[in-house]
Amino acid sequence: MTFEEVRKSLDGVWVTDGLDDSQSVSNAYTSDLLSDVMGNAPDDSVLVTIQNHLNTIAVCTLAGIKIVAVCHDRDVPQDMKDAAEREGVAILRTPYDQFSASCRLSELCGGAR
Amino acid sequence: MDSQSVNAVGSTVRKTEAEGDALVVMELIQRLKVRDVMTRNLVTLSRSATLREAQLLMRENHISGIPIAENGRLYGIVSIDDIIQALDGGYISEKCVSRMSTHLIVLEEDMPVSFALGFFENYKYGRFPVLSKDRALVGIVSQRDISRVMLYELTQEINRLERQHTRAPEDRVGEGAQLYMLREFPVVKYDFENAGKAANEIKRLLREQGVAARLTRRIAVAAYELEINICVHSNGGTLSFVISNGVAEVVARDTGPGIENVEWACRDGTSTANEWIRSLGFGAGMGLANTKRVADKFDISSTLGKGTTVYAAFRLDGAEK
Amino acid sequence: MFYRHCEDSDGRLMGGEMTVDKVAEILDGKVLYKDKEDERHVGKVVASDLMSDVLLVDADDILLLTSLASDQSIRTAQIVGAMGVVVHNNKPLPASMLSVAQTLGIPLVTCPYAKYESCVRLYKALCAESGSEEQ
Repeated sequence: MTFEEVRKSLDGVWVTDGLDDSQSVSNAYTSDLLSDVMGNAPDDSVLVTIQNHLNTIAVCTLAGIKIVAVCHDRDVPQDMKDAAEREGVAILRTPYDQFSASCRLSELCGGAR
Repeated sequence: MDSQSVNAVGSTVRKTEAEGDALVVMELIQRLKVRDVMTRNLVTLSRSATLREAQLLMRENHISGIPIAENGRLYGIVSIDDIIQALDGGYISEKCVSRMSTHLIVLEEDMPVSFALGFFENYKYGRFPVLSKDRALVGIVSQRDISRVMLYELTQEINRLERQHTRAPEDRVGEGAQLYMLREFPVVKYDFENAGKAANEIKRLLREQGVAARLTRRIAVAAYELEINICVHSNGGTLSFVISNGVAEVVARDTGPGIENVEWACRDGTSTANEWIRSLGFGAGMGLANTKRVADKFDISSTLGKGTTVYAAFRLDGAEK
Repeated sequence: MFYRHCEDSDGRLMGGEMTVDKVAEILDGKVLYKDKEDERHVGKVVASDLMSDVLLVDADDILLLTSLASDQSIRTAQIVGAMGVVVHNNKPLPASMLSVAQTLGIPLVTCPYAKYESCVRLYKALCAESGSEEQ
């Protein structure tokens, strides 16, 4: 699924600037615990979370996550945005909760693996 | 009159939180005031009365003590003991004022009945005169007066609980006005094994009392957030929960370190929590904002180096926020 | 949108005839505790690991999907009146968690899937139940 498909399916807004639209992702992972993301998230993923913290970006780079979908339209702090742009991780704000966002993404990437 | 300071005596009254005591009774003796149980129909004598007159009056009215009072002012009490001694010593025709006890311990009419019970436990007297705020004699309380009213109130309470059991939860809204409850829970820093227990208990109590489900949830959410806050951010403190006059209050008090920027701390999504706290499912920075959102009234005060007090209040009258 | 087939305008699940036993079946999970009498159905699915986030949800009979294997998941579930808690990735549970669940009367399930996959499985089951085909 392309970045734009992900954004559309989540009715989201990009928080980060200067991202490469041509990219795509193939998996999704839903978690608010960074240790869980680090240990279990598949790479090439969208991370569905409400964890709007700078450290999320650090974990994303380690786990190979390309998009962070921040749920409930939660504010993204400036330091998190800066880090994401530096590390080439895209941040998306979505009005949906984690369950709804996950359900929506499953329509794109074919459901449970 | 030489009345002892009631507050000093009051502090010796045993804690109403004593474990094992029936909850309903504990609540009742807090909610009921001395004025609710006292005898208002006062039999008094003036300062010119003799002990003989007191003796006759006691016999007539089947009472064992008579206040000596004029125009609402209390001068002393003549008890049946005084009469017996007078008969024994042959001075029964003397005036009451010369023999009455003036070393009086009095109750005030707006004290809870728990105070009165404490008085009976701590002093040998069979009755206490009751004074109003402006020190006028307004009644007298014996242990029998208390038993009588308690029995009546307990019967009412049992009837109410029975009714509640057979009724749908929706009908119970509004009954909160009669409810009285007081609980205090210690919260220890970083004690994640026990954090949340107080909130769980508060929720259980509210459910038990038949408080409406949505309201119960709002109060429980505030209690949980504030309890976790003490556990995560402070050096420890207490979470207290009070219901009186139709209002439920959750108050979190901690002993420090205090919040540097209260406004910032109350903002949604801001937190000083570290990665360890976040790995435990906390530190989302939503605690105070969540509490504020569910409460009818919210207040926070903090002093750096001293501590923080957070106050959340809820109306029980069923009005939805 | 497909998703709306299993949620009404108030965000309440439709076709919600799903008990905790059914949830465990869909998620190939194990029911560690459930009261025999408890026949509540899922009112809303909440997938979260942050307790404040869970407390924010205003719905009845929440099914909490979480990766947080701690007493706090159960305690939070009691606060919001949840009908069940599912812990993911076959995470080992602390010994106290089961007894807290029993004390507070919160059904507890563990399952081998990640939370994302649980969401998707439940979503499909709910859509199937509410009789709507995916488009």
